[in-house]
Order: sequence, then structure tokens, then C-alpha cells
Amino acid sequence: MTKEINETKVIESPWDLTTYQWKIESDALSLFVKGLKDKKILGRKCPKCGTVYVPGPTYCRKCFIDIDQIVEVGQEGVLDAFTVNLSDIKGNPLEHPYITCTVKLDGSDSYLLGILEGWTDWKSVKEGMRVKAVFKDLTQGALSDLSHFELIK
Amino acid sequence: MKRNVAIISVGYNGRFVSKRPDINIPELIQPAVANAISKTKLKPEQIDAYVVGNMHTFEGVNQPHLWASDHFGGAGKPVMRIATGGTTGASVFQAAYYHVASGLYDVVMAIGWEKHDEGDAQVGLMGILLPEAFSMFNFGPDMSGERGIAGLGGGGSTGGAAFQAMSYLTKANAGIEHIDRIAALMRSNAAKNPYAHLQQPGCTEADIAKTPIISYPLRYGHTCPTSCGAIALILASEEKAKKFGITDRVAWVKGLGSGSSDAATGNIIEGQITDPAEQYMCKVVAKKVYAMAGIKDPKKEIQVAEVYSGFSHQDLMWPERLGLVDEGKSPEMLDKGAFAIDGELPLNPSGGVTSTNAIGASAMVRVGEAALQVMGLAEGGHQVPRKVENAVAHGWGGLFQFVTVTVLGRTPVKK
Repeated sequence: MTKEINETKVIESPWDLTTYQWKIESDALSLFVKGLKDKKILGRKCPKCGTVYVPGPTYCRKCFIDIDQIVEVGQEGVLDAFTVNLSDIKGNPLEHPYITCTVKLDGSDSYLLGILEGWTDWKSVKEGMRVKAVFKDLTQGALSDLSHFELIK
Repeated sequence: MKRNVAIISVGYNGRFVSKRPDINIPELIQPAVANAISKTKLKPEQIDAYVVGNMHTFEGVNQPHLWASDHFGGAGKPVMRIATGGTTGASVFQAAYYHVASGLYDVVMAIGWEKHDEGDAQVGLMGILLPEAFSMFNFGPDMSGERGIAGLGGGGSTGGAAFQAMSYLTKANAGIEHIDRIAALMRSNAAKNPYAHLQQPGCTEADIAKTPIISYPLRYGHTCPTSCGAIALILASEEKAKKFGITDRVAWVKGLGSGSSDAATGNIIEGQITDPAEQYMCKVVAKKVYAMAGIKDPKKEIQVAEVYSGFSHQDLMWPERLGLVDEGKSPEMLDKGAFAIDGELPLNPSGGVTSTNAIGASAMVRVGEAALQVMGLAEGGHQVPRKVENAVAHGWGGLFQFVTVTVLGRTPVKK
């Protein structure tokens, strides 16, 4: 009598077939970090529709035309969507939760991602609050130069 | 539209579950195909063409349709595979519709599946995100642990969705308790659907509220499972629907469309210009689809909605963006019981995606469930009690930007 087979064998296989070669330069980010070094927030503005992208790509995604106009946007803006991280990456509760947020700076049409500071009770943080960008004292032309966003009291 | 098309059959492989180590991918698909055919007067050879799809990379099999085509009856016939992320199942269905509506084929099968236990959904998602993340690494992001780049990501898909959830709650002036409540409704609906994965009879808001927060305002109880399962739909022209289908039990495709907006989450490199909860393309597409379907007032003329919500707050957001509920009014509709199976606007009687998510199948399950509601054939107590004249099925995917909308009904749009 044949023994009943009730479980198929499973083969475990790591998939390491090649090394992908992704292009990692970015005109938008190059300009952005160049600005951060001087504690400025730079983007590009479409000459046709006026959309201000931060970081700013070299073409407008709405008009399909090249953008060569570099603009500096405000260092203050409005808090948009955010999420409160109550635990660390392993799931352990954090004594001091942290907030990651998106911010629309004055004069920009883009949402920048960052950490939000300047609050005492996270439950009192609301979309629409005014915030300002805070730079590290010593900037080096890197994304990390933009330390965080701070609620304006 | 060149000619009318109907869904004449909906087949499942069985109940959606976490793991199926006893079968392989073709063996997962085949029972759904057999089930769909068995409900019609068709013979397998009378199916003219196949459109199929699942998520790319998730199972580590790049071209599963080549492997599986023998098993679903595709050998010797046209087979097209489509993969559009979360909307895959709906894109597959819509392509199958075009096959028939164009007049090129009369009977076409659409198949969507996912066998999550064979691969790794997070690895699949990283394949979407990595090129962008590596580009960022080149520009010196903060790498200091929790508050650095890892923290900004917020934990994969849920982290991204948490931004959308918070933005939605603000716009609708609602709280996390509303997300708990809709999540509980979905899990208890799922208990009435014999094919649903996470079935929790009588699940309450308190049951969901007990689950831990992943990234506020989203909890574990607000997220979808990874399921294994397959669905097959048979689409036919008007003439063939009458011949092979059971004529009074078909669902006519009255309107359909899809759209893409800006990448509305995580587009750090090129300047993200859309709020993740705005979802304006959903409004644009829905409006076009209703016009195509001859629907003037969707709030009155649509009796049931199946929406694609990988996270529970979306079950509140989509009905508004689809024009079925006034902007910001979903929490109120929920509180007065309107979204219940016997309510004013039954929402996901199947239990939705937060109860069952075999990704490549999920957007097609929305269409299939809408079809079953129109046919009056939803099993196990999740059939909407009143007559369903029109049903809407919605799909969502990409970097929070792809949307598909389909309207099915009991009577075809006149040609």
C-alpha cells in the first residue's frame, strides 16, 4: 500500500543571480544637497505651469518641458501628513516617541519628509501647524544637513 | 465600447489561507479555473484566450504564466500576463474585457492569484523601493538608527500608509476609533464569506483596539494578511453569454477605467507633489466610469461597493473618493450602520482586503465579489439582502497612485 503523501517538499532557495546596476545620480538631489550646504532649500520651478518641485527635477512632470529655473523656497511651511512612531524597529515601546512628517514649505508645491520636533504631547500635534526647517550647525552638502522640522510656537 | 460584455462565472480555488505547502502555483490556479468553468455550460476548449496576472517577484518566479499556462488551459491559445502592482487583478480583468469588447474574442478567462507562502512580500516590495533608496544613500541621508532613514520609511508599506491614514483622519475630522470600528466590521463580514482568510465572527472595535500600534494611527488589526489563493472570471460577449451562461445570472460590465496620479508617497528624489489622502485620480476615474455606465447619481444608483483597502482607514477613504459618500462623511456613515451588509451602502460584504489579501488576486476579487452580488450568488450570508442593480469594484496600487474602477449591473448599457 502506498503511503499517503500529505505534504509537498519545499525547496529553499536564496536568489542571488546578479548584481543590478542602478543609476544613482540625481540632478534634483544634487541641487538640493548643494543648497543644504549653504543652509538654503533649493528646488526648480516650471516656467509654464509654475509648479515648484523640491527637490527639483530638470523637467516638469505636468508640462513635459525642461526646467532651468532654480528657486529658493521658504524655510517655514505647513505640517501635512505625519505618523507617530511609538516603538522602535524591533517593536519595543519608546519612552520618547518620534514623529515622521511631510511638510509643504512656503513657495513650494512639494511635500518634504522629515522628523518633527518642538512638541511635548504628540496627541496635540495637528496637520496644518506651522513649522520651520532646522539645519545642523555644521553642514556638509548631505541630506542629513537638514536636521529636522520644528513646530513654530 | 464596441459591444456588451458580461461576467458569466466567478471561480475560487477554495478558501484563502496563509500557507499552502501541499500545492505549487499551477495547482493553486487550476481549481479556480475548474470551478469557474463548472458553473457554466462551457467546455474548456471553448475559451478563446486568457489574461492572467500576479505580483512580479513576490514568489520569485518571474514568468509564472509560462509555467502555469498548460494547467489553466492556455496551451495553444493566446495568453497575456499583466502585472500592475496592487491593481493587477483589476488590470487583468479590464484587459480581458477589452479582448471581448473589441470583437477580437468571444469568451475570455481572467485569472489572478498569489501564493505568498512561496516568496517574501517584503523582498518583493523592496524591489520596488531599492533603486530609489540607493539613490538617496548617495546623497548622505541620516543613517543613525530609528530616527534616521529607517525611521523615515516607518516600516515598509504600513509606514507609508500611516501618513495617508493621518491625513485622512484630519480631513474627515475622525479618530483612530473609526479605523478600529471599520476594521471590526470587515473581519466580521469576512466570517460570513466562506472564502475569506481572516474570519472573526462578531469582531468588535475593542478586539481591534487591543492590537499593538505599528505606526500611529495604524495598528496590527488595521493591516491585511498575506494570503494564498486564486480567482478566475469568465467574460463573454452578449451572444455567447446567452449561450453559455445562465442568462439571468450574469453581471454586465457597464463601465470601467483606470488612472494614475503622481507617486503619492515616498517620492523623495523628485519632489512629491500630491498628498497621499488626496487621491484625485480616484475621483476623476469614478466620474468617467459612472458616465460610461449611465449612472447619474452614484449614491442612489449603486447598491454595493467592493473597495481595495490594504489598510482599514482606506475603507473609509475610498467610498468618499468614489463619490458614494460625501467628502468627510464616511465616519458618520459607519457610525449609523450604513456600511453593514444590510445597510444603506453595503461596503465589502466579502470582508475586503484587510481580511483577505492574495495581492495579484485581490483587485479581481473585488470585481468577482461585485459580480456575485449582482448575480445574487454570494455564499455564506454575505449576499446583500436588497436587489443589487449596480455594484462598483475598485482597485488600488503602485506608490499610492494607481486606481481602477469598474461598474457591473443587472442590465447592460444599451448600444
